[in-house]
Amino acid sequence: MTDLQLSERTATMPGDQARPLKSDLLHINMGPQHPSTHGVLRLFITTDGEIVHTVTPYLGYLHRCAEKIAEGTTWHQYIVYTDRMDYLAAMNCNWGYCEAVEQLMRATGTEVEIPEYAQCVRVIIAELNRIASHLIAFGTYGLDLGAMTPFFYALREREAILNIFEKVCGARLMYSYYDIGGVKWDIPPDAMEEIKLFLKIFPKKLVEYNALLTENKIFVERLANVGVLDRETAIAYGCTGPVLRGSGVDWDLRRDEPWGIYDRFDFEVAIGRGQMGTLGDNWDRYYVRMLEMEQSVKIIEQAIAMMPAEGEIMAKMPRTLKVAPGEIFVRTEAPKGEMGFHIISDGGAEAFRCKTRSPAFHNLHVLEKLGEGQMISDLCATIGSLDLVLGEIDR
Amino acid sequence: MDALREWLATTPMAQGMDPELLTGLAMLTFASLVLVGVALAAMIFIWCERKIAGYMQSRYGPMYTGRFHGWLQSIADGVKLLLKEDIWPANADKLLFRIGPLLVFTGAFLGYAVLPFSPTWVGANLDIGLLYAFAASSLVVTGVLAAGWGSNNKWSLFGAMRGAAQVVSYEIPLGLAVLPIVMSVGTLNLSQLIIAQQGYIWNWHVFNPIFFFAFFLYLISSLAEVNRLPFDLPETESELVSGYHTEYTGMKFAFFFLGEYADMFVVSAIAVTVFLGGWYTGIPAVDNFVHPAVVFIGKSVLLVMVQIWLRWTLPRLRVDQLMFVCWKVFIPATLGLVFLYGLSRVILR
Amino acid sequence: MVKILNDIRESITSIATGMGITFRHLGKKPVTQQYPDERWSMPDRFRGFVHNDVPRCTACLACAKDCPVDCIYIETIGKGKERQMSRYAIDYNKCIWCSLCTEHCPTDCITMSHDYDHAVYRRERLVYEFVDEPVVPFKPPKPEKKPKPAATPATSATDAAATPATDAAATPKPSDDGSES
Repeated sequence: MTDLQLSERTATMPGDQARPLKSDLLHINMGPQHPSTHGVLRLFITTDGEIVHTVTPYLGYLHRCAEKIAEGTTWHQYIVYTDRMDYLAAMNCNWGYCEAVEQLMRATGTEVEIPEYAQCVRVIIAELNRIASHLIAFGTYGLDLGAMTPFFYALREREAILNIFEKVCGARLMYSYYDIGGVKWDIPPDAMEEIKLFLKIFPKKLVEYNALLTENKIFVERLANVGVLDRETAIAYGCTGPVLRGSGVDWDLRRDEPWGIYDRFDFEVAIGRGQMGTLGDNWDRYYVRMLEMEQSVKIIEQAIAMMPAEGEIMAKMPRTLKVAPGEIFVRTEAPKGEMGFHIISDGGAEAFRCKTRSPAFHNLHVLEKLGEGQMISDLCATIGSLDLVLGEIDR
Repeated sequence: MDALREWLATTPMAQGMDPELLTGLAMLTFASLVLVGVALAAMIFIWCERKIAGYMQSRYGPMYTGRFHGWLQSIADGVKLLLKEDIWPANADKLLFRIGPLLVFTGAFLGYAVLPFSPTWVGANLDIGLLYAFAASSLVVTGVLAAGWGSNNKWSLFGAMRGAAQVVSYEIPLGLAVLPIVMSVGTLNLSQLIIAQQGYIWNWHVFNPIFFFAFFLYLISSLAEVNRLPFDLPETESELVSGYHTEYTGMKFAFFFLGEYADMFVVSAIAVTVFLGGWYTGIPAVDNFVHPAVVFIGKSVLLVMVQIWLRWTLPRLRVDQLMFVCWKVFIPATLGLVFLYGLSRVILR
Repeated sequence: MVKILNDIRESITSIATGMGITFRHLGKKPVTQQYPDERWSMPDRFRGFVHNDVPRCTACLACAKDCPVDCIYIETIGKGKERQMSRYAIDYNKCIWCSLCTEHCPTDCITMSHDYDHAVYRRERLVYEFVDEPVVPFKPPKPEKKPKPAATPATSATDAAATPATDAAATPKPSDDGSES
């Protein structure tokens, strides 16, 4: 696109010939510091007044060379770096990486048998973190649109989850709880009681959120028919997670390519149905997240029921892990989408290459397509519906 | 203000003073009193807003400055704003950048001249009081535009453009919504509008079926006039950082805020005057015991609290939805109300 | 026309419901805590500042090797029986509180304390030196020879003579990378 794009509107006065109105496009920087870009994302927008013509994301403001560091740290030490990718769903990122290393070990001949108890604990904690991540998505979405109160309610519920995590592993955001072969600590009994209490009160809170925000007419008017992402575009851009499911594609790795013990759970996969507007608009993506929180509660209840009374939390692993040479790509369903780890091992104590496929990175690029023709306010709404976390986009 | 002038005439220093000078002195005193009152009221409203916002969001709000629920927080903020560095953006238009906040505050402040706090406490008992109040509050638009352009910042310009469009558009339903009441009472004089509602509570204009809808349309239009959520596009915190007052620091920023809260009080006071019975409590027996100014200010404060409540509940409207609601819903509705009321007057005569 | 009336009705009901929810919250007790006047006690496993109990430290360097960001600085002087630890420092500018250092400590001298509020004005103050002058590393006592539970009396005597390899050896060498489990 050339620098000076002439708009093709025409001005007509009664009795005149139509003459073109020469107006320039406005180049605006929705800069790295902006309240609603969910992190240090720079969007270079060209607009014609309020209507956006092009959106170009500029990334890299949060790049911390995680993939290069993987080549210098041991398999075990790298778990703390996976925490810091999607920092709102650190447990899921941990699990993705650990699952990848374990599957590589199995593929190259080492037998890794994760105890049943540890498997159940892994599912409980991962689903709790999914709820926490979606709560932030819900809260900050309201904040982007001006409804500042649901954010505090979301954080209030998230505090309960973080308190549980604090009792379990001692940290509130960067857990590094999962380990290759299991989990590092057991769930203490008081944390288990808190989990059960949380499962009792949370569905009522979801009803409250739906009444306050989801069904609010102003909110619906802002979101419905805006940022419509159709199936083919979503699949072509590689979108995953709620962004893909909001466009009506029935694909969830937990059901379709289960890992761990996910094949034993009975839950519904939430997909968008275009209830309030077109299929694949912002409201659908948002509502998929609300429904996923309900389903996570179901999964956690089932996991608690099928957990054995006691068991080992960790398989027997050598002190310094060396993985036989090989490569593997394993993807798991993180809250933002499919988190993939492509690991290449050359037989040493450190990875040869650990590439992370982050879901938000691929979801972000659909913004270039969705942004055209929207107004700036709609752009903020669309960014919120994609649920971006710059930590995992930039790594 | 006549009462103030009379009282001043009895003081020792006014003996033998030129009557014109005495009138001028009375005006100056009145304006200073109102200025101090407005500043104090804005501070109290800001504190109220933060506390109410806090409790609605399951938290406390200010608690620290002033030990008892942070009542000194506003004063501390005022002192802080006074002491802040006055930052000027590069290539800012010197004149426009400077007068932006002043125009906004003046527009809001001018409206206080006609507010009838009590039968005798009126700044200027103008026969066109209502029209004057609406005209004075339109001065805010010039201030917003000056601030947006003078900031030399594209985001501020966005905010200013939206603000100007919004305020100018919503003045039409604002004025049209009070038109049925003006038709009913027959005057634009605010004190007369209140006196027409004396007696019991059902005399208040809001309980008349047609005026009831006019009241709600007026309330929502007044929210748009003062740039409050759900119409706070000019100063959207999450899109434009702060809209037209992004680049302002220190006292200029304080003036914007004072102007916003002052304007909130003015439009609430006009709503109370026109619809909610002014200084009458609604029970004639109680009217003798309670000072009318207390009733008037109390009711206005209540309406301001409703505005605060709405701010912390609702998301904001997009600018084209805002314009749609104004031009295609509110203006036909208010015009319809005017027509209906006129028809009812003709039929029921 | 019907659509507009429907829209108006939906607007009023949804906005009124929302306002009701926020209004109800006005009467509830807030969930926040007035820090720093009120603090709560941390759970047992809370990962605060790393603390090293130097008298029990065997200078095996397992924690320094496990640290993903290399924030533990250990310096030793001498070899063999005269080995002394001259510096044990943790650089809290880098520490990420991951507790990987505490996992493989043979004597559990390095633990995660419950402290979290040590803000400083200068970065150098965040490098904590645990050792003022060179100390002799701790030599854990040899564990008692436990008899094997179910074996025959003859084999149990020979087995009991062997030193169990689980707890730390007497003086681990610095270059030991702990490759045995």
